[in-house]
Amino acid sequence: MQLRPSNGHTPPTIDLQECLDGLYSYALVLSRNQAEAEDLVQETCLRALRAMEKLRPDSNVKSWLFTILRNIWLNQLRQRKTAPDMVELDTSEYVANRAVDSSRDPYAAYVSDLEGEQVRNAIEQLPFEFREVILLREYEVLSYEEIAEMLRCPVGTVMSRLARARSKLRDLLLATAVGGSGTKDESTGNCQRQSFCR
Amino acid sequence: MSPCDEYSLKALRYLDDRLHGQELDDFRAHLEACSNCRASLESERFLSQLLHRSRPLYSAPPALRARVAAAVEQRSASIGARENSYERLLRIVGSGFADPVRPVARLRLLAATLAVTALVLAFVPNAVRQVRAANYVETAVTTHRSYLDGHLALGIRSDSAAEVTSWFTGKVPFQFRLPQSTEGGVPIYQLAGASLVSYRGSPAALLIYEKQKERISLLVASSQSAVVAGGEEVRSGALMFHYRTDQGFKVVTWSNHGLSYALVSSVSGSARESCMVCHQSMADRQNFQSDR
Repeated sequence: MQLRPSNGHTPPTIDLQECLDGLYSYALVLSRNQAEAEDLVQETCLRALRAMEKLRPDSNVKSWLFTILRNIWLNQLRQRKTAPDMVELDTSEYVANRAVDSSRDPYAAYVSDLEGEQVRNAIEQLPFEFREVILLREYEVLSYEEIAEMLRCPVGTVMSRLARARSKLRDLLLATAVGGSGTKDESTGNCQRQSFCR
Repeated sequence: MSPCDEYSLKALRYLDDRLHGQELDDFRAHLEACSNCRASLESERFLSQLLHRSRPLYSAPPALRARVAAAVEQRSASIGARENSYERLLRIVGSGFADPVRPVARLRLLAATLAVTALVLAFVPNAVRQVRAANYVETAVTTHRSYLDGHLALGIRSDSAAEVTSWFTGKVPFQFRLPQSTEGGVPIYQLAGASLVSYRGSPAALLIYEKQKERISLLVASSQSAVVAGGEEVRSGALMFHYRTDQGFKVVTWSNHGLSYALVSSVSGSARESCMVCHQSMADRQNFQSDR
């Protein structure tokens, strides 16, 4: 699903289908509500389609799309003048989506889904700022500089926030089967478990 | 702050290959001497791997994909409708003509191109088959039906992938190479030949495969003009396949590396079987064979 603006120069190609999982994930991290997330992604795509002719050839399309989505969400928050909804995620639709993929080995798929589910549960327990930086850096692989520009903060802030987010996430995962059954050594701050400290 | 705290902050930068020079040497030297920091680094590495394995964090629901696909299709159509014939021709004959700062040179080139195009159309009427259709699937099906009915002559008749690949050189605005059999044995689907068709003003490649009385066509066009969407979506790795039945034919469409593909067949088995056209000589062929 690629589109290229028709404004004369050689602009970057936009493949919305390829970005859709990432945009939807970010929308869910921001809104924590499936219906709201879907609306955010759809609105983002519509605005991107309308604005793509203004896109510079050297633009980072992915970062641009994520910034659009974030701005829409922030505007909606301002308009509502309320705190973000804290509706818990219903993961059944995610599981249903994965279930249609019959090409994977069933056992490998089960283990992978279980592990993924535990990671998602742990991420959902993180504070908003940590969820956001984990998604942008670890899942969408945006650079520290791109994230800093999106969040309008110094690169150093992004790096320290990411370090704290990872530390908190690791603590949360210690309580699940993902990281094994070890404990954290409070004196050193290191985990004493097979998976994280093999 | 202890020295270990300082190195702990550098662990992420180390994993991201963002430590250099003396800083990198110091970090490595400290790792050699400090088992706690080695364990901490491994812990960070394990967490990164775990997070990467769980990508994507969430999958977009099919309904959302369909809505976005429809919006893209609508936008694509409106862009096409806005272009006048002049702009469309500029688009066809190449980006070199689209230089806005050289209008006189552009008009000369356009006039020359019109003359050449007229000559080509006068003497080689079947050089490019213009198929009028609203979307990519419709074009693929209409073309397939034209071939079955004997209304579309092949530009080249050959069962050689190399010959057909070579024939397309310079005829389509993209480069591709047909997969060649690397194993022995007789292929199930035999390449029969190829032709050119026009899709939204741009040449597209039509490949015909045969198996006894069955005919399968594969239409390949640039993803810039050919939008792939709709149907039953099945993800396989990074690719999204769209399965549907159209006018009694099975159609599978997908996009990859800037090209859009539409495979049209009347194969009676599963739609997946038609994928054997390309995968019959590949290591993953068993993934596409029928269970029957």
